[in-house]
Amino acid sequence: MFSAMVKKELLLVLRDKHALMALFVMPALFIVIMSVAMRDQFSTKNIEFSLFVKDLDRSAMSQKVVDSLKKDTTFMLASTKEDADFLLEIPKNYAQESNATLHLLIQSSLQENEIKAFEAIVAEYIYKAKFLAITDTIEPFAPDVAKQFSSFEFDTQKLYKLEYNHTQLLPNSTQQSVPAWIVFGMFFIIIPMSTIYVNERKQNTLARLNSMNVSLFAMTLSKSIPYFFINQVQVWIMIAVGIFIVPLFDTPALEINGSVFAVLEVAVGLSLSAIGVSTLIAVSANSSEQATTIGGISNILLGAIGGVMVPKFIMPESMQNLAELSPMSWGLDGFLDIFLSAADSMSVFEDFAKLATFGVVSLGLSMVILHLRITKGL
Amino acid sequence: MLKVKNLTKRYGTKVALDNLSLEIKKGSVFGLLGVNGAGKTTLLSILNGLIDFDEGEVEVDGISLKKERKKVKSFSSIIPQHLAFYENLTVKENLDFFASVQKATQQDYEKAVEVNSLDALLDQKASTLSGGQKRRLNIAIGLLNNPKIIYFDEPTVGIDPKSRNEILDSIKEYKQLGITVVYTSHYMSEIERICDEVAIVNEGRVLEQDRLENLLSNRVSDRVIVECVYSEKLQTLGLTLLDSSSIVTTQEQLFEVLELLQKSGIALKHIRYGSTNLEKYFLEITGESSV
Repeated sequence: MFSAMVKKELLLVLRDKHALMALFVMPALFIVIMSVAMRDQFSTKNIEFSLFVKDLDRSAMSQKVVDSLKKDTTFMLASTKEDADFLLEIPKNYAQESNATLHLLIQSSLQENEIKAFEAIVAEYIYKAKFLAITDTIEPFAPDVAKQFSSFEFDTQKLYKLEYNHTQLLPNSTQQSVPAWIVFGMFFIIIPMSTIYVNERKQNTLARLNSMNVSLFAMTLSKSIPYFFINQVQVWIMIAVGIFIVPLFDTPALEINGSVFAVLEVAVGLSLSAIGVSTLIAVSANSSEQATTIGGISNILLGAIGGVMVPKFIMPESMQNLAELSPMSWGLDGFLDIFLSAADSMSVFEDFAKLATFGVVSLGLSMVILHLRITKGL
Repeated sequence: MLKVKNLTKRYGTKVALDNLSLEIKKGSVFGLLGVNGAGKTTLLSILNGLIDFDEGEVEVDGISLKKERKKVKSFSSIIPQHLAFYENLTVKENLDFFASVQKATQQDYEKAVEVNSLDALLDQKASTLSGGQKRRLNIAIGLLNNPKIIYFDEPTVGIDPKSRNEILDSIKEYKQLGITVVYTSHYMSEIERICDEVAIVNEGRVLEQDRLENLLSNRVSDRVIVECVYSEKLQTLGLTLLDSSSIVTTQEQLFEVLELLQKSGIALKHIRYGSTNLEKYFLEITGESSV
């Protein structure tokens, strides 16, 4: 009996083309699009600015500045000023006049931190050139001082020993996008689940099954099992998209790094959670339209809060605290720990436990509501 | 077969069934009549073990519903008004699913298919069936557990006269198979045509229960109902029809009607004399202005 119920549910969902699109195609497309679109934002490579330099001073000092900028790999010299992110104009007599200012024209799309970074690099070369000019001037009168001055180190990279604090690793765009859209896609089982549930209730099929001595537990469990397997297939298809499809678009491939068992553990927890919340919405709604609307909005809100749309590490602290309320965030944390910190099963157990508890409680509550709906005709 | 004694069901302060009692004989086709909100659906839901009742006793085939609900459910069946199956599955997939759920035997499965003429439709997706075919599938599912008693909740709503006729004929076949049928409908003509006994329910109580002919014959009338084998020609003869295969006439006009039927090649099934109209009687007893 139970296998027939599972088979029926599976047949119904596999024949729903729209549901399959929402469950498989939508998250796969999101993974590719978002990984590629956010590639540069998440990149740890040097930021490259396109620069156009207009040297009206044409002094030895200004030439040194221009040469230094040309040699700097941070810059890519633009052939026209229209193509450039930055237009730097060194005015006439800049070397002679101490009050002269550089003219900087910046594309309005640039961010504040990019402008600050550019200003720091230009300042480094200007001060270095000015310092060397002063050194040249004083050399005939005080050669020892000039020698000391000329050995002065301006390269900021040699000022510090740069080291990353690995307690908070940041993902690249693929490492962020794959788990985020896996989690989001898994919760989209609400669409087929609610449509089937509401139709069954409206058409009295659930009542008919109940009159055939089918228990609510068997009904709920038989509906959950197919979606559990669909969720597991979703996870591995999306991981495959991250590993094999995303790199085709010049974007880093996904590396699992951690334990495969840990991936399974988080996937199981997430599936329980997704099934729980989907069932709860499906049994509470009065129509499939209502269920898909509430389900869709809930998914988007849980995703927005939980770091699917905006990564949690760029959220303000208050939002990061709020994110802890979303089961999507628990799943996302679990996957990120596996992909970034090579976490094992034990390390993600807390995330699994939270997800599984949330799922089981939601399913229990759903059964109570379903019981009331069938027996009281609510 | 079914004994209901002083059954009471309340929804909060509203009394849906008020000390309702009735008795249904084994193998009979029993009509349950009542306006919307009379308590028919609540009664059917209780009899099918879907909802609890507050007071009273229900015995189905000698078994207490309260004590052995699961057992009673195993030999009862409800044919809901809505099409309670899966439109995205084929007829066979639907039947296989419900047969597995009820652990139906191959014999019962084949009987349900045969009685409802579904053989040729097995591989067809349920959503592509006609209204009448869907109704037949809905009924076939209810037969899979070889029930001793079947409850029909308005099974002919929204279907064409031909399909309605087929369904009503098939219900008569269940009687031959020894199955007890409890039938609710808004169509008085259907009740008149297939039921042996009728209970009129109003405001949660049974106002009257008797054999149909007793109910109607008690009211002296020269009304005659001529039941024929279904033929589309019947619609073209200009006679007053009770339903797609029954004619209402008077004793005075009966001879002319029979002559006309003979000329048209329409075969007779049954003639009922002296009965009043069930609808008229129903309205009289319930004090309603319409059904």
